[in-house]
Amino acid sequence: MTEKVHLRAPIKIYDGGWVDVELVVTDSNLVIGKRSIPLREIEDLEDVEIEGVNCIQIKKEDKIILQLPKNLHQQVFKFIAFNLKADKFAVFFLSSATVGGVVSSNAQWEKGYFSVTDEGFWFLSAKYQKRIPIENLGSVKTDLRNVGGKQRKVLVLSHVEKSNVVTSLVLCPESTLEMLEGYLQRLFEKHKPAINLSDNEMEILTLIYSGLDFASVENIVGVSTDELNNYYDRLVDAGLAKVVKIRKEIELTPRGVSMVDKISKR
Amino acid sequence: MAKVLIVDDTAFMRKLLKNILFGAGFDIAGEAENGQQAVEMYRTLKPDVVTMDVVMPEMTGIDALKQIKTTIDKDAKIVMCTAIGQENIVKTAIKLGARGYIIKPFQAPKVIEEIKKVVGE
Repeated sequence: MTEKVHLRAPIKIYDGGWVDVELVVTDSNLVIGKRSIPLREIEDLEDVEIEGVNCIQIKKEDKIILQLPKNLHQQVFKFIAFNLKADKFAVFFLSSATVGGVVSSNAQWEKGYFSVTDEGFWFLSAKYQKRIPIENLGSVKTDLRNVGGKQRKVLVLSHVEKSNVVTSLVLCPESTLEMLEGYLQRLFEKHKPAINLSDNEMEILTLIYSGLDFASVENIVGVSTDELNNYYDRLVDAGLAKVVKIRKEIELTPRGVSMVDKISKR
Repeated sequence: MAKVLIVDDTAFMRKLLKNILFGAGFDIAGEAENGQQAVEMYRTLKPDVVTMDVVMPEMTGIDALKQIKTTIDKDAKIVMCTAIGQENIVKTAIKLGARGYIIKPFQAPKVIEEIKKVVGE
């Protein structure tokens, strides 16, 4: 029996450089050039930027990067997202309920799927296909929320999106909710960084998240520059932060001092 | 620039909010450690806006909100400041007249945006 072909298009695949191939999307396979990949064997999917171009990266043992014509990118991404190797649950979801500490006034409940892979979870609906890597999950719990005028038990997920802490809500039958909570808790524990933070370190992490600069953090926590540098190193080593800028501390040479002397007499 | 009263039982959170709001050009009218102090300071300082923590000793943020609204200033602009998971409490606060809320952990630009929105700038 031949499979239904949904799409056939010339695309490029990245292999150190771009190579022209044909992509064929069928009910259950992606055929990229001569390689056929069953959709149910795709472990992960992500939008990535390669050489300034928005691409689709799929993971099946290795990673495959596809550059599609702009008008097909979203269509193919959505199709793979709905069909990759994952456990999919019919739910209502609200993502994002809050962003960076402020309630999203324009967010609405969506009817769709909550899909869980080994690498993370997805909110899937006709409008949204949002992937949250498991390392971006901050907490998972159930709570009562007012949904459509009724108090309902929902799954509350806090996760990171574009450097913001975001909360998303999932509503589904209670038995599914409890199963999802347990599963995500276990996944979260497995990926949790193995580090115990001191009070100072927790405060520093919070301040950095809030967007404070080095001097403000130093001032609020009440530590010296060297001490704060050591804390920063530890947070970076633990994978909780990354270095984005190295500042220079300089002092004036005698010539510099003499220049300041001249400036002050002007 | 608008005067802000910061209410939170942890010194760390007060310092953080102070730093963010002062940096954005707000005047810091004062800092209170609990709801009782907040009510007293509101009466004397008459701030333009209050950032009010919810869970505090002696008097909670909800009780302080109620008291300020009913006994001092029914138009008081109070922004509740709470942790993830306390959104239901905040909904009660909104019913009681809170003008907005921010959820910890928060980011400076979002806090500033919310406070400016409440102050009407």
